[in-house]
Amino acid sequence: MTQTTPESTGTAPAPQGTLFLDGEAHAFQPGETILEVARRAGKTIPTLCHDPRLEPAGACRTCLVEIEGMRRLMPSCAMPATEGARVTLESARIDRHRKSLLGLYLTDHPEAETVAARRRPNLLLDMAERYEAPTDWPKMAPLRASRSGDTNPYIDFDAAACILCARCTRYCDEVESVSAISLAERAAQTTIATADSRSLLDTTCEMCGGCIDTCPTGAMAEKRPITLGAKHEQELTKVRTTCNFCGVGCQLDLNIDPEADAGRGRIVKVTSPPVGTTTNDGNLCVKGRFAYEFVHHNERLTEPLVRDEQGQLVPATWEEALARIAEGFGRVKERHGADSLAFVSSSRCTVEENYLVQKIARASMGTNNVHQCAAT
Amino acid sequence: MQPPSPPADDRSEMPHEVQTAGGLRPGVSAEVARRTGVPEAHVYGTSSFFHLLADPDTKVRVCTGLSCQLAGSHELLAQAQASGLPAKGCSCLAACDAPPAVLRDRRVLTEVTPADVEAAAGDWRRLVAAHAPDEASERRWRGHVGPERSEEQPLAMDLLAEPDFTGAAFAQAGAWGVERLVEELKASGLQGRGGAGFPAHIKWNAVSNEAETTRYVVLNADEGEPGTFKDREVLLRRPDLVVEGLAIAAQAIGAQDIYLYLRGEFELPWRTIEAAIATFQGNGHGTDLRFHLHAGHGAYICGEETALLEALEGKRGMPRLKPPFPTQVGLWGKPTLIHNVETIACVPAIVRHGGAWFRDLGRTEPGTKLYCISGHVVRPGTYELPLGVTLDELVAAAGGYVGELKAFSPGGASSGFLPAEQRDLPLDYGNLAKAGSMLGSAGLVVLNQDANLRDAALEQLRFFSAESCGQCAPCRIGTRFLEEAVERRKRQGVGPEALDQVAEIAWQMNEGSICGLGQAAPLPLTSALQYFPEDFAEDAAR
Ligand SMILES: Cc1cc2nc3c(=O)[nH]c(=O)nc-3n(C[C@H](O)[C@H](O)[C@H](O)COP(=O)(O)O)c2cc1C
Ligand code: SF4
Ligand code: SF4
Ligand code: SF4
Ligand code: FES
Ligand code: FES
Repeated sequence: MTQTTPESTGTAPAPQGTLFLDGEAHAFQPGETILEVARRAGKTIPTLCHDPRLEPAGACRTCLVEIEGMRRLMPSCAMPATEGARVTLESARIDRHRKSLLGLYLTDHPEAETVAARRRPNLLLDMAERYEAPTDWPKMAPLRASRSGDTNPYIDFDAAACILCARCTRYCDEVESVSAISLAERAAQTTIATADSRSLLDTTCEMCGGCIDTCPTGAMAEKRPITLGAKHEQELTKVRTTCNFCGVGCQLDLNIDPEADAGRGRIVKVTSPPVGTTTNDGNLCVKGRFAYEFVHHNERLTEPLVRDEQGQLVPATWEEALARIAEGFGRVKERHGADSLAFVSSSRCTVEENYLVQKIARASMGTNNVHQCAAT
Repeated sequence: MQPPSPPADDRSEMPHEVQTAGGLRPGVSAEVARRTGVPEAHVYGTSSFFHLLADPDTKVRVCTGLSCQLAGSHELLAQAQASGLPAKGCSCLAACDAPPAVLRDRRVLTEVTPADVEAAAGDWRRLVAAHAPDEASERRWRGHVGPERSEEQPLAMDLLAEPDFTGAAFAQAGAWGVERLVEELKASGLQGRGGAGFPAHIKWNAVSNEAETTRYVVLNADEGEPGTFKDREVLLRRPDLVVEGLAIAAQAIGAQDIYLYLRGEFELPWRTIEAAIATFQGNGHGTDLRFHLHAGHGAYICGEETALLEALEGKRGMPRLKPPFPTQVGLWGKPTLIHNVETIACVPAIVRHGGAWFRDLGRTEPGTKLYCISGHVVRPGTYELPLGVTLDELVAAAGGYVGELKAFSPGGASSGFLPAEQRDLPLDYGNLAKAGSMLGSAGLVVLNQDANLRDAALEQLRFFSAESCGQCAPCRIGTRFLEEAVERRKRQGVGPEALDQVAEIAWQMNEGSICGLGQAAPLPLTSALQYFPEDFAEDAAR
């Protein structure tokens, strides 16, 4: 739940409340959950089904805390902070709960080596280790149906690794408003499905990959790194950059295998920076997340080219190339007038770049014929 | 202006559309999505949750619930499958008093015999022949009820009496107003009969005091707790009490819309209640109230009140987190009074005779109670007795034990098992809770010396693991884990270590589960282990 700040609404600041976390007083804003207050205070509460972009589901049960006056353990991700509440975050009961819950999850989860093939982080296994969950309980073969016939090029779903936190489906519903996937079946057969188990390509899916981003176990994962046998995400180098497909300015992390291509390095996949750290808040679209192959395309221009006397394109310096452009524009303007020229900038330009394009058009060429391809 | 309620994107009719389209076959989600505007994946995801929609080709479902199992339903199922009938097992069909029960399409057939299956000769349509016409099958589905009302023992519901559509209680309640009504309910001590035993007057009061003025009344007629069939009996015999009780409730809390959620298998009770509504309103009572009937589609969990609300809204029947409670945030987010059929059926008598009268009907707790009894007794059925009778008294009403009492389950699968030594416990909410069990829905199953409690527990575990909504891990994984542990012990020759994790996982399920299903699911196993450890030995009889 997000709070509108007093500055943004111009109203008086909402009255604060106070609750107690393991005996310490902490202030909260109305609308905050216990988890939000605790995290702000630097406390550690494990969560699997929580994603601040989504309405709480309270389904994974890892974040349970004790609240004085309530008989049952309560999900801190869903419980609103209330005045004077006395909340226990650490106790023998909570510790026992975490251990046995995570131990139970493991009985229904593949071994670490199998899960590693997803090439994505697995929060469940990390958490089980951190809280010393029992690892020797008998395993059960998963009964969740996968979608093995799905030929879409980008998204792979491995039902065995799915813990049914429903982050992917809630993301698809609440953030993307696309609803291409849903929880389906029930009991041990519960799974994530498309209608009639069709390929995502035959659904409303926009291939935003947000379901991958939010998945805590790698059950939803990028398909190409898996089929190409790429390295695990942990072994890749992340390089932060700005997506240049449109002017929104989403931040993205190129995940690079530095040893590939004889040491020149290769982008293995693109991930979004963690939720809450950049303007795009962990979200990307199909282009930002999956359309990175042009970077390594052999026809990609990597230096300026100009035509020689025979009309062949040959490498040139930037100075030569720009001089040639200026000369050509100048000739046209001289012969036909400034309004014979028009400038269209790409939707991949930033606001600043667009500003510069109209500056060239108006100030140096003297025409108002300027447009931006995303402006229609 | 108030937001429209039901909201503009109301999808409550969607599951019915899928049913009308013949169930979840390829292409049906797309078709229903086009017609209803519900996203296709949601149509699919929701329909696949409900057995009767998800699996339209299974035309014959044989109940494998405990009482039917005692009457040979596993053998009947094997015979049906061998004969080529499209048959599968299913959970309790609320006909445990006439086992084995079989669902043919959406019609419950009772006391189905091997001869019936043979006569069908592999054609599921012919399985109904022995039970048609409808009227006969309706009468047939009415079980034993008793006792007769007498001077010494007045009854709140009196299932043997003729329906009464005079609307006298409705008029009386209107004259009283909500405050007096809540007072009388409080004086009556009426506890919710759906399982939790929560005082009814608190909910009526809570809904009446909400600031939001759009409010709803919901009837929980999803009766699915194994061993329970009393609501069916009320709906078939005294639908007048249900309709009048609902009208009183709606009038009191200021609701116009009343939603009745009947389990999908209640095809015949649907007709009786539909007819009763028509008669009641035809007599000029509560004509401004709108009654909406909704059918379930095969999911025990939708008896849990918040799962029921989700299902009513056309979604997967996954329980909501509580708080907030339905009295605050219920159907479509509005304050909602939701009651079990029997709770509602007690209301007219409380209005007619007063709260104190009702309270005095009980022995250890207020009121009379419909006890369902099945298993090893002479005359399984529904008996209205003072709350707090003992097992022996109840069984006496049911004609006595068959064989010698070994164990009993006092209140549905969720209540676990108690040994014969506890036969003197008053069967009420407080005393059974103290004994580590519960009265729940008062669906009692009696087991005699021939029963093996490991097998009985296994049957209940199978039920819970099949009916878990799958939302939370403690229940989804835990029910299956316990079931497999017992299987390993029973069939795979694993030693007692097969059950090593049971205690810890039972603890986890109780602490960690979202709703009562997962919280109670370990009880049949843990109580069987506690009272009958010898039944788990290698050489224990199957
Ligand atoms: C797993 C589960 C199943 C339930 N099934 C039923 C049911 O079939 N019928 C019913 O009336 N209540 C059932 N309940 C209880 C309801 O949640 C709720 O308490 C009841 O409808 C409230 O009505 P009452 O106050 O009249 O009892 C169930 C509860 C749980 C946890
Ligand atoms: S890629 Fe985006 S649109 Fe497609 S299923 Fe995932 S979240 Fe939904
Ligand atoms: S695929 Fe991932 S995000 Fe989706 S439910 Fe499974 S574990 Fe959660
Ligand atoms: S306890 Fe079981 S039935 Fe209840 S919400 Fe959890 S998974 Fe669903
Ligand atoms: S994070 Fe709170 S229940 Fe999953
Ligand atoms: S109808 Fe078969 S056990 Fe209830």
